[in-house]
Amino acid sequence: MNCPRCDHDVIKTIAKSPVGEVWEVYCCQKCWYSWRSTETPRILAKFLLDDAKIAAMQTIPPVPPLKK
Amino acid sequence: MVYHDLRSFLKVLEEEGQLVRIKEEVNPEPDIAAAGRAAANMKNGPAVLFEKVRGYKYPVVTNVHGSWANHALMMGMDKTASTKEQFHELNRRWDLYPVEPKVLSRSEAKCKENEITEDINLFDLLALYRINDQDGGFFLSKASVITGDPEFPDDFDKMNVGTYRIQIKDKDRVGIQALAFHDIAVQLEKAEAEGKNLPICIALGNDPITTFMASTPIAYNQSEYKFVGALNNGEPAEIVKSDLFDHLYVPAHAEVILEGEIISRLRTVEGPFGEFPGSYSGCRLQCEIQIKKITHRTNPIFENLYLGIPWTEIDYLMALNTSVPLYKTLKETMPEVQAVNAMYTHGIGVIISTRCRYGGYGKAVAFRLLSTPHGMPYSKVVIVVDEFVDPFNLEQVMWAITTRVKPSKDVAVIPNCPGMPLDPSSNPAGMHDKLIIDATTPVPPEPNPRETQLLTPPAGFEKWDEIIRGLLK
Ligand SMILES: [Zn+2]
Repeated sequence: MNCPRCDHDVIKTIAKSPVGEVWEVYCCQKCWYSWRSTETPRILAKFLLDDAKIAAMQTIPPVPPLKK
Repeated sequence: MVYHDLRSFLKVLEEEGQLVRIKEEVNPEPDIAAAGRAAANMKNGPAVLFEKVRGYKYPVVTNVHGSWANHALMMGMDKTASTKEQFHELNRRWDLYPVEPKVLSRSEAKCKENEITEDINLFDLLALYRINDQDGGFFLSKASVITGDPEFPDDFDKMNVGTYRIQIKDKDRVGIQALAFHDIAVQLEKAEAEGKNLPICIALGNDPITTFMASTPIAYNQSEYKFVGALNNGEPAEIVKSDLFDHLYVPAHAEVILEGEIISRLRTVEGPFGEFPGSYSGCRLQCEIQIKKITHRTNPIFENLYLGIPWTEIDYLMALNTSVPLYKTLKETMPEVQAVNAMYTHGIGVIISTRCRYGGYGKAVAFRLLSTPHGMPYSKVVIVVDEFVDPFNLEQVMWAITTRVKPSKDVAVIPNCPGMPLDPSSNPAGMHDKLIIDATTPVPPEPNPRETQLLTPPAGFEKWDEIIRGLLK
């Protein structure tokens, strides 16, 4: 299984339905997109991710310099 | 009526016809969010409680604050109270600050009925779901987040209770958005400069005033808990010490408390998330929290909100609590100001009613608003109306604009001012123009060549107002 947003292939099953075996929730270990097995993710092209896009993302809030 | 927990408020909402129960099993997506949208579209829409969500153990409730009727009931007022009446009542209670909170013992606090320290799994307790279709995951959209100042851990007033969006990233790990201008970012910066984690508690399913106060902008050294007591008309907030952190206090009867730490100096992809201006805010690298302990009430109710194109529930959580502080600031130097409606997209649009002491006063009031700490970046469209116009009554405001405004002298655009970056029409983000519409009646020395005689209500209309309202109950 690959991530529907960034196509990464390390996907963790982060939850199984507490009642019955009716769904599971998956989470991409690279872009942290998550979805339920009962969903069909249709991610708009503008929200798809790749390495270049992730590298260019703004950091919020900025990480301050370490005090010595 | 003062509520010390979510459940007692839900009970009153139900008795007042402002809560509906869905007893049939629903799907987490898209049913819960869709119901939130539908309820928000209704005039005086109800809270919606889903008793059974497919695959989950416990119920979820949405749209709890999502109408003026529910907002009035939160304040302990009659559900028919007008927005203007609620504004003036909130304004009165604001001045009761500070009211010292009551610190309960652990055994008195219902949020401590159950505890989990091993195999933490948020999905066991919370019916998590996707809110908007393009959201990057499931979000907590209505959590009250409690953090302290690492430099002054024992300063109660510097403890912050705020609402921040939280993305589920694992069964015991979540992302949080702490924008640089938020109070929590000040505290995080101090911790991260030392290479330390920032202790954090996340309270879900609170009494309605605590949630309301968590989304109210107040000064850094003002205490949200002391404001909760003020807004509850002097009845102290009930809080209890966190289990893991001695300097943090949480609402005593919350449904669920998550305790953990923001991981120092770590940023991972967060978002997108459908945000309050009615559009998505994209992906950025943001903080993560490791959850280390959960305490919860027996059979916890998960409370969350839907956000969409305004108005939806979130707009009620930044309406009068944005308006009242702006009103207080204006009133200090301009006592002629009668009321401020800053309910549109967190104060980007503002309507002020004022008496005009001399010609040009309406514009001067707008300038004053645009130089306040909140008005400077946020407010973009400022409409000023006469003192007899109710700024919360848009029909009256439109009447004032259509009959009082001569565009060539009453409309002004001031280019290149501070702007709100989340406003998609701000370009570059953070810069904007200001629009002032002065819809007040000219007073000397400004000439008023076509003076009018205003219509007045027929004698005895107040009596009839009472009779008709009584019959509607
Ligand atoms: Zn991915």
